[in-house]
Amino acid sequence: MYPPKFGYVIPDTIDEAVSFLKEHEDAKPLAGGHSLIPMLKLRIIRPSYLVEIRRLKELQYVRKEGGYYQIGALTTHYDVVKAGIPLLSDTAARIADPQVRNVGTIGGSVAHSDPAADYQAALIVMDSSVVVYGPKGSRTVNFADFVKDVFTPDLKQGELITEIKVRDFSGYRWAYKKLERKAGDFAIVGVAVLAKKDGDKVTDLRIGLTAVSNKGVRAMEAEKVLIDRTPTEDLIERAAETVMKSIEPPSDLRASSEYRKRAAKVLTRRALTELLR
Amino acid sequence: MKVVGPEEKVKITLKVNGNVHEVEVEPRRLLVHVLRDLGYKSVRVGCDTSHCGACTVMLNGRSVKSCTVLAVEADGAEILTLEGLTKDGKLHPIQEAFTEHHALQCGYCTSGMIIQAYWLLNENANPSEEEIREGISGNLCRCTGYQNIVTAIKAAAQKMRA
Ligand SMILES: Cc1cc2nc3c(=O)[nH]c(=O)nc-3n(C[C@H](O)[C@H](O)[C@H](O)COP(=O)(O)OP(=O)(O)OC[C@H]3O[C@@H](n4cnc5c(N)ncnc54)[C@H](O)[C@@H]3O)c2cc1C
Ligand code: FES
Ligand code: FES
Repeated sequence: MYPPKFGYVIPDTIDEAVSFLKEHEDAKPLAGGHSLIPMLKLRIIRPSYLVEIRRLKELQYVRKEGGYYQIGALTTHYDVVKAGIPLLSDTAARIADPQVRNVGTIGGSVAHSDPAADYQAALIVMDSSVVVYGPKGSRTVNFADFVKDVFTPDLKQGELITEIKVRDFSGYRWAYKKLERKAGDFAIVGVAVLAKKDGDKVTDLRIGLTAVSNKGVRAMEAEKVLIDRTPTEDLIERAAETVMKSIEPPSDLRASSEYRKRAAKVLTRRALTELLR
Repeated sequence: MKVVGPEEKVKITLKVNGNVHEVEVEPRRLLVHVLRDLGYKSVRVGCDTSHCGACTVMLNGRSVKSCTVLAVEADGAEILTLEGLTKDGKLHPIQEAFTEHHALQCGYCTSGMIIQAYWLLNENANPSEEEIREGISGNLCRCTGYQNIVTAIKAAAQKMRA
């Protein structure tokens, strides 16, 4: 399979990338290319130019400041794993396989907005935001609003994601449970959980899911079942049941809607049992 | 800023196993095809869809699937293919372990598998069985059932630590 013809641009700065993209309607930024190049090979897209942002060093960093982690958009999944960020690093470790993680970037995954991407489950519960830079300067958008629909990020032509920001959840316990058909595949369902206890009582609980909707979803009703309570097997079961009832997953090649609902319940129960009991 | 038009070719430099190559490529050319044209035939196209790992090479110290990397992206990069592991006709300890432990049958997956093992052992000199299995989860083998591959990588790790 060969990609169609396209031109290629190597900018020296973010501003050069932004202005070239702005002036060329169907030009696309190229980060890790691990969603883009497969799409080119399948000829799903035919951009006029690819703008190689991958090597822009100023977008490769992980910093910790004021209770938040700031992650440069071009940070690879590999480097996210190494960064030791509560929940997010363990989630990144479950993406695809080592070779894909060596190349794919967090900014590329968020921009691609695949409804089954693993980061979707974690980012939706981490008070995350996305920093976007474009011809009109910089703006910050809540992650929950940034992904508008399936493969539809809040990005205009000429805009780039420069940073992902997540809260530091040190002091919490966390788990990411992923069910896949085979090693390295996208999730059938993925469940990310953050939990905090004070003595026997649950003081905070956050449950995020991927691959069950048009984007990552947070199961607030289910969280309420356990918050301010002492977790018992019954309550955990009820919370997992509530997750199942709150979603209407799609059916596709990987699984039927009904199967996904049940899988979401089982994964939620497993995560909660591991973290709370 | 460098701009290459859609009908133009671009000159790139690849350093493969220590050999410097200057080639002219269309921006759409995939790294795997350029490497094979240069004679590095250990780099194979298996699935062509980023799943099988037969095309795995080291690119600037990290293993990648070269069917999913454009040759222009690798301009200036250092690449290691299986050919580069053999030094003066002497097999690398991972290659030796693969022969000793019968870790291949048809051999199609082997060069990618060995490069991935090379990356894994760089990362982790003493991996557990589980870590080995996770480490090669992006490399498919349709013949061996993986058991001998895992054994070979474990043996290679031991040899390399000695
Ligand atoms: C075999 C395989 C298995 C995979 N399995 C999984 C999996 O299990 N879970 C998972 O979550 N993902 C999986 N992926 C996807 C992988 O994580 C990709 O790396 C990721 O989705 C895209 O990141 P990228 O850097 O490669 O982006 P690219 O492919 O370069 O870009 C993707 C899209 O985002 C745009 N873009 C990229 N960066 C920016 C930016 N900074 N600002 C604005 N737009 C930008 C591009 O123009 C393009 O439209 C898999 C991929 C492969 C090939
Ligand atoms: S040919 Fe590259 S992963 Fe299969
Ligand atoms: S030995 Fe035949 S595919 Fe691995």
